Amino acid sequence: MPIKKDVCSTGIEELDMKMSGGIPLGSTVLVTGCSGSGKTTLCMQFLFNGARKGERGVFFTITEPLFKLTKNLEGFAFYDKKLIESGMVNIIDLRIISERLGLDTEKYTVEDAGALLDILKDIADELDVKRLVMDSITALCYRLQTREMIRDFIFKLGTSLAVMKCTTMLTSEVPPQTFKFSQYEIEEFISDGILFLGDMDRKGDLIRTLQVIKMRGTDHSRTKFALNISAQRGIELIPLLKSTEFETLLKR
Amino acid sequence: MVDAVIEGIRERIAAAIQVNQSVGIQVPENRHGDLLEAIFDSMCRNTHTTWTFLTASKTFDYLTKTFKEGTRQTNIKFIDCISRAAGISEAASNCIYVESPVMLEKIILEILNNFKGMKRDLDKYIVIDSLSALMIYNDPEIIREFMTLVMNKSRSENIHVVSILVEEEMDSSKLIQLNDKIIVLRDSFID
Repeated sequence: MPIKKDVCSTGIEELDMKMSGGIPLGSTVLVTGCSGSGKTTLCMQFLFNGARKGERGVFFTITEPLFKLTKNLEGFAFYDKKLIESGMVNIIDLRIISERLGLDTEKYTVEDAGALLDILKDIADELDVKRLVMDSITALCYRLQTREMIRDFIFKLGTSLAVMKCTTMLTSEVPPQTFKFSQYEIEEFISDGILFLGDMDRKGDLIRTLQVIKMRGTDHSRTKFALNISAQRGIELIPLLKSTEFETLLKR
Repeated sequence: MVDAVIEGIRERIAAAIQVNQSVGIQVPENRHGDLLEAIFDSMCRNTHTTWTFLTASKTFDYLTKTFKEGTRQTNIKFIDCISRAAGISEAASNCIYVESPVMLEKIILEILNNFKGMKRDLDKYIVIDSLSALMIYNDPEIIREFMTLVMNKSRSENIHVVSILVEEEMDSSKLIQLNDKIIVLRDSFID
C-alpha cells in the first residue's frame, strides 16, 4: 500500500487502510478500551514499526513496571531488543521520574503535574522523538485530587502535545462492555483521533473489536472490526461478523 | 466397491473445483467418512497445490489417526477449531488451533494467513468440514455471513473453496446456495 507523506503509518496494514494511510502527522490519538483489549500492544507495535523506519519513539508508562512490560513484549515478533538498546524505542517509567523529581508518586498537586509535563516535553525534545505513547492518561489523572485539577491537567497536556512535533497515542481505560471513550470524559476533547477497542460477547466468548471513532484530517472508516492479537503478526483486523451484535445489545 | 465409490467422489470434486470457484458438497452422515477419504486422497495426489483444511467436525488428532499420511503432507495446513474448546491441548506444527468455533473472524484470519505471500497463480484450496458442524456452535445467520466473507475474500485471492454440509445436522438449503456448484451425495449412489 502506498504510504502518504503527511501521515504516520501505524505499520498495522489493515488499520492504516481504515485511516487512508495512517494517522495525520502530529496528531494526538486516544486509544481507549477496557483491560485486555489490546491498547498497550497496539501502542507498542506503533512504536516498534516506527523505529524500524527510523522514527524514534518513547513510551511513558505509569501502570506497569518496565521489566513486566518488556517481558510481555518478548513474545511478539515485532519486538526487537536492539531497537531498545539503540535508543530508537525508549521505555520510561513515569513513577521513577516522579521519584527523581521528589514528587509524591501517588498524589499530584497541580504544580507537580505541571512539572511532570515539562519533563515529558523535555525528554521528547531531547530524544527528538517522532512517536510518543502515554500509558495511561487515566492512571496519570487518577493521581490528581479533584475533577477541576484533572480538567486543567488534560487541557495543559493537550497544549503541550500540540506544540511537540510528534504523533502521540494516549491510552484511556474504560470499564468493560461500555461505549465510553474515557474515564473523565474530557480526554477525548484534546484528541484529534479516537481508536475504540472493545469486547463483544458471542455465546460467552469475548471477541476483541476495534473502531475508528474519529480521526481528524482523514477520510476514515467507522466500521467495527474484529481484532486479533497474535505473537507472529501482532494486531490484525478483519471485518466483524455482525449477525449477533444486535442480539448482544439486546442482552445488555 | 468402496474404493470405486471414493474414486468416483474424488473425480467428481476434482472436475467441479476446476471449473468453479466454490463447491458445496451435501452428504449424508453415513457417507461423510467416504467423502473425507476422497478429499484427503485429492489433497495427497496434488502435491503441487496448496490446501487449508478447516476442521470443525473431527479433531485434528482424530484426523491424524484416521488419515495418517494425508495429515503429514507439506502442502496441507490444518485449522482445528474444536480441540481447544473440548479441552484437548495437543499441538502439531502443521495445525493451527483456534480456541473456539465461535471465533469465526479468527478462523478467517488464520485461513488467509496460510495463503499470505503465495503466488497468485498457484492453485490454492480451502476445505471447510463442515458448515453444519459450525452451526452446532453458531447461529445460522452468522454462518451465512461467515461463508459470504470467506467466499468474497477467497475470490479476491483466487482461492477455491470446498465446503461440506452434513444433511442430517442442519437445514442446508440456504447455505449451500452460496456456492457456485453444488454436489449432492446420496446414501446409495452419486447423484
